[in-house]
Amino acid sequence: MGQPANTLNPTEAWQPLPATEWNEAAARHLLQRIGFSATPTELARVLADGPAKSVERYFARMPALPKPRQIADLETDGPELYRNMAGGSPEARRMAQQAARERSREALFDLTIKWLQLASRPENSPAEKWLLFLSDVWVVGADKVKNSALIYQHQDYIRKFALGTAPNLAKLMSRSPAMIVYLDLQQSKPEAPNENFARELFELFTLGEGHYTENDIKQAARAFTGYRQRQGEFAFVQRQHDNGRKTVFGQSGNFTGDDVINLVFKQKAAGTFLPRQMVSFYLSEAPLPAEQTDALGAWWAGEGYDLRKLAVKFFTSRVFFAPAYRDGYIKSPIQFYLGLVQDLGLSVAPLPRQLIGSLRSMGQMPFDPPNVRGWVGGRSWINSATLSARRQLIQALLSPLNEDALNGDEQIEIAAAYADGISNFTLDQARLAEWAKLPPADRARELVKRYVPDLAGTELERQVSTFLERSAQHSQAAAATRAALATLLESPNYQLC
Amino acid sequence: MKNPAHLLPSTRREFLQYGARGIGLLAFSRFAPGFLVESAHAQAPAPEKDRSILVLVQLAGGNDGLNTVVPYADPNYRRLRPTLGLPEKDLLKLNDSLALNAGCAAMHGLFQDGKLGIVQNVGYPNPNRSHFRSTEIWETGSDSNEFLPTGWLGRFFDNACPGTPQGGDPCGVNISNEVPQSFLSAHQHPTFSLAAGRNRRQQSENLALLEQMVQSPAGHDDHDNTGYLRHTMMDALVTEKKFQKVLANYQTKAAYPGTPFAGSLRNVAALIAAGTATRVYYVSLGGFDTHNNQLNTHANLLKTLAEGLAAFQSDLEAKKLDSQVLTMTFSEFGRRPSENESRGTDHGTAAPLFVMGSRLKPGLHGTAPKLDVAHNQDLTYSTDFRAVYSTVLDQWLGCKSGAILGQNYQPLGFI
Repeated sequence: MGQPANTLNPTEAWQPLPATEWNEAAARHLLQRIGFSATPTELARVLADGPAKSVERYFARMPALPKPRQIADLETDGPELYRNMAGGSPEARRMAQQAARERSREALFDLTIKWLQLASRPENSPAEKWLLFLSDVWVVGADKVKNSALIYQHQDYIRKFALGTAPNLAKLMSRSPAMIVYLDLQQSKPEAPNENFARELFELFTLGEGHYTENDIKQAARAFTGYRQRQGEFAFVQRQHDNGRKTVFGQSGNFTGDDVINLVFKQKAAGTFLPRQMVSFYLSEAPLPAEQTDALGAWWAGEGYDLRKLAVKFFTSRVFFAPAYRDGYIKSPIQFYLGLVQDLGLSVAPLPRQLIGSLRSMGQMPFDPPNVRGWVGGRSWINSATLSARRQLIQALLSPLNEDALNGDEQIEIAAAYADGISNFTLDQARLAEWAKLPPADRARELVKRYVPDLAGTELERQVSTFLERSAQHSQAAAATRAALATLLESPNYQLC
Repeated sequence: MKNPAHLLPSTRREFLQYGARGIGLLAFSRFAPGFLVESAHAQAPAPEKDRSILVLVQLAGGNDGLNTVVPYADPNYRRLRPTLGLPEKDLLKLNDSLALNAGCAAMHGLFQDGKLGIVQNVGYPNPNRSHFRSTEIWETGSDSNEFLPTGWLGRFFDNACPGTPQGGDPCGVNISNEVPQSFLSAHQHPTFSLAAGRNRRQQSENLALLEQMVQSPAGHDDHDNTGYLRHTMMDALVTEKKFQKVLANYQTKAAYPGTPFAGSLRNVAALIAAGTATRVYYVSLGGFDTHNNQLNTHANLLKTLAEGLAAFQSDLEAKKLDSQVLTMTFSEFGRRPSENESRGTDHGTAAPLFVMGSRLKPGLHGTAPKLDVAHNQDLTYSTDFRAVYSTVLDQWLGCKSGAILGQNYQPLGFI
């Protein structure tokens, strides 16, 4: 589009950033793209460590997400819930179905909050964003899977191989009970292979359109027959598996699903597919020049499709830091929310109703992407409805929590958090009062520098100052400061990173 | 400095006057780079309040046509649908061979009242079975092997909305989570996205400062995305203020069901009743990708559709706006005639679509699909979806379809 393209040749593109080009702006870019924001603490550390050491540190291991209590309860009660749904009068079955759905929904909320809490810790953010990226490739949706225990398990499977190899991840994904339900492998059998999984495996998970034929899909679907999930465990049912000869990508044999995945990773497109997805998730809506992704793909295939190595190579490369890709990327709703939490020094509130409602209206309901393609991202995040939702979220995070408006369960959650010493769910009003003591011009400079540093010293900073001056006369300095801060966070610049 | 309470203009005209100090914001919508597009202008009239309006309803996921408009008398139907075949006694008959799914009761009423038309077996050559690609084909109006950078309605805007639209209203309003690809245009036009369902009023004390900030040419203006955000935000601020007032004050006696879909249609009715100059509304209803156990799911989706549409039509009639509005459904594909082993249906090809309004030729249009297909074989379309578009463009929106669709299609008889 209008951005200057990067002009690196394919070899230079993936070389490490020269030390001479490492500075605070580069460190900020790194943090905002691999994580959710550049907090002062992480910025100082990363700046001192340099990109290679920092990225190695962030991708040393995946953080663990302990099984949320409601997910565990759902697993325990699962057999009984299924029994209730299977027997009794139609009315009783309907009630049981509704009860199971409700349980699953609440467990999903519990999972969402626990995951956001984990991801909001700056030291975890890059690994958890990487997990979000891989989940946006290997998509399952809670709405269709209808069992949040499987959704947790699916994320846990990705976590297991997120820093392993792509073929191993792919094989585990084909065995993920959530995936088996989501893409209809559960009913796929020799006399009626269901093509849904095989199609998306090629189109959306590993190769991309144009790199397979309809016949490859039909044949591959036969190889995945007999994949089942039984009460949340993978089961391979031999008598439902088509043992016959299949021809996929020109190769013939009595292929199993794993054989098909091995064949997938013999295709050239398998090397470039994930790097291209990384570019669009992390770097730019416009693809990189094909020679650059081809070079990375060939290198990556030679490294046995090692995901950790790919991440390190990508996030330390010259092309990642190229001027063309600085500051112009639209934050996803999850990044926008977690970035606000980090920038404002907050904790994720254990209030699913408010939090999930806000993420949904901004267009990104965690664990429930619109379809198997995942979230499209980029400009599609921004329209008048989602912008209005972003503004509402900011207003909520800047105002004291209205505990009277919470329902009973929520009050219990908040009380428990207070008992653990966590109460910073919205902006500390004492901090506002401190800011309000500064003269308007200094206050404007401080707010701009902190939240939209690329606007420091501009006409806009002066406008903020004027706005603050006007309210100073009405002894409403704290309220004016809050309004000014809200406006900076609502500004076009804060939507970008 | 002006009083901040008055900084935010409430009409685009006011905004443009206000913004005359060098801001020059004339562009608001997503647009494709001009060099990609060759746009022939059909010189269609600009939007005016009494002009015809199109409400497009997307059935996202691929609606199962055979279980929507059911060929109940054809023995092939029973052969193809051993478990999903709907019993004749449950169906709402249209004639001695076709009937509507029981979920469509409200639409059956409209059919009998002469307000509903059904265009049968609509599709395109060399069908693509990918949701995304086939949606793209429908939304851009392209051939199966052709990639167009603009949507068919975007090209309509290019032809029908030169310059600033009257009253500052958007050319198109979508009530969906994303701006539809159909709206993508070669030139910039204001379009507006409303959240699905009924809207809550929201208040913000800092709108005036935000207004300044959006206009302020500072920061990374060299990035397209900054300009894009700026324009979208300005458009949103101006239109939002106006629309919120309209939606909050809307009075209707029509019995809209409690579904978000019906809430969205109620909002469309409110905007039309307020005399908004917008001529195209786009509403999305999802969930039609019924790969397994589809009987109840599908019937419920059709019920949501039918009851929403019927309430919308009766609302328009009560307000005497019905002669101005044509509503049309579309879905990226139909589903395969043979049911699968999961009591569902896989991605298919052609399917019927619905048109609703008081000034259309009701009844069945086009020909029903031939069901003498082998197991797992797909239907062959008999009406090209672009013939439907061309009928709507030429005979309803009053815009020469050749310039929009790249060629001329034989008009269908539904208007």
